[in-house]
Amino acid sequence: MRVLVQFRSPPQTAAATLRGEVLPPFAAATAEPIAGLVIDPAFLPVQVPTPQAAQAGANPYNYSPAVTFSTAPEQATYLLRGTVPDDPDAQRAAIAEATARPEVVGVFSDPVISTCLVCPGSPPVGADADVAGLLGVKALADAGMDGFRVPVAVVDTGINLVHLQGRGRDPVLSARRSWRPAGVATRPGQHPVGHGTMCAYDVGIAAPKAILLDYALLLSETPGETAMSGLLSDAVLAYSRLLGLISAQPAGRRRLVVNNSWGMFSPVWDFPVGHPGNYSDNPAHPFNVIVASLEAAGADILFAAGNCGRDCPDGRCEFGTGMPICGANSHPSVLSVAGIDTRKRRVGYSSQGPGRLAPAKPDLSAYTHFRGSGVYPADGGTSAACPVAAGVVAAVRERYPAAALSPAELRALLCKTAEDLGGTGFDHDFGWGAIDGTALAAALAGVKRSGRRRGAARARRR
Amino acid sequence: MPKVMVTLKLDPEQASLAEVRRLLGLGEGEIDPSFGVVNISPSEHLYTILVDEATAARVQGADQVEGVYGNPRVEPFGPSEG
Repeated sequence: MRVLVQFRSPPQTAAATLRGEVLPPFAAATAEPIAGLVIDPAFLPVQVPTPQAAQAGANPYNYSPAVTFSTAPEQATYLLRGTVPDDPDAQRAAIAEATARPEVVGVFSDPVISTCLVCPGSPPVGADADVAGLLGVKALADAGMDGFRVPVAVVDTGINLVHLQGRGRDPVLSARRSWRPAGVATRPGQHPVGHGTMCAYDVGIAAPKAILLDYALLLSETPGETAMSGLLSDAVLAYSRLLGLISAQPAGRRRLVVNNSWGMFSPVWDFPVGHPGNYSDNPAHPFNVIVASLEAAGADILFAAGNCGRDCPDGRCEFGTGMPICGANSHPSVLSVAGIDTRKRRVGYSSQGPGRLAPAKPDLSAYTHFRGSGVYPADGGTSAACPVAAGVVAAVRERYPAAALSPAELRALLCKTAEDLGGTGFDHDFGWGAIDGTALAAALAGVKRSGRRRGAARARRR
Repeated sequence: MPKVMVTLKLDPEQASLAEVRRLLGLGEGEIDPSFGVVNISPSEHLYTILVDEATAARVQGADQVEGVYGNPRVEPFGPSEG
């Protein structure tokens, strides 16, 4: 066991530490070795100031009222680092002998310390049931909002329905309204289990009754360095399909939620900022234009903020000190979603704002890094946070189509009802805070709905 | 050669591969046929096509061309090992 041993300091030792000199070996500082105590020779002795209570008889270690500290040689002590045996009897004996020595003030533990951040590779924190509780899924469902028949496009690596069913889900997927890039052999709902399946699972936490649309953008056969990637032109094609879909819905009943747990990890893939062909900072880029068009048509578009947070970025990140929330992930017409764990702490890899297209990004935070889909040990990355939020949006859309609550109005309501985290109000770590379905359901009680009554629609089905 | 996206402002009746080739003076195969002519903004009559960089350089001065844009790679933001 690691310990810190506090010794009373001979005057010459105290003077030496104040001068910053290397002290003589420990053996010279004490009469004879202490059995069982092994001193770490690489740890330089550290002078410890001695607290002195302001009032006679008071305990100086209460630190209140304020105490003074003395480094006078006759009062100085210093710390050495060492180990004592783990065996309880031997440990007891070593510590007893040490503390019996007049030169030893005390033997203290030296515990391992580490950051509390959740980083890539960290074990999961909580599970999807915890996420459901934190989101307020019950409050939404009690208010008649579980995403029934709301189409949610998972623009990703493809969905595998069998895997979702194996996890106890019963999702509905519309193959007819799904899409895959040219050359992809597998069909909607039958793609290999992977990232897209995780996202589909996480949509279902708040919106178990949504209709999944499988947009396997990232299975594109267009050349790339990794198997799971695509080009932005593939995304333009996907979005043109979605624009056609929503435009075909009656104007008063438009509902379409679009989840995008992807983006750029490196500015190297783009034209430089300032170049007219740039994507990351350029609202005129065709993909940024079609994002705006789709939102204007009534779609709710969510993008993951990214995994290039300053504390522990994904190994693929190459933004350096640059702003990583860029391109459509920072678009003013989308919800940019940061990641928090089920203890409401920002995960260390969640990208921080400001955004490049819109500075006030991310918009809000949702839960990630939990045991969920079983695709990975943890449903993680801001990739998981995004569909968690998308599920809440889909739940709301069951009762409130875009005609009743525009995408911009819903984004504003989500931000207004979010639980404030971090600094007061908006900040670039958490946005407006943690998405809160309970507060959202309460706020929606005052919003006029339009469209069919849920009960009537469901009754017709039976 | 890497491909880039070219944004065009067109009347809807002009938004076909054949018509865009004619307007820009391009030959068969110079516009990616599998991408086609994609409507990116119905309200603004904006469309985009996919061409290689050399072709984009030739057409970028045309009346219908609004701009030439990059086609970067994108990846999922899923779990990784740091």
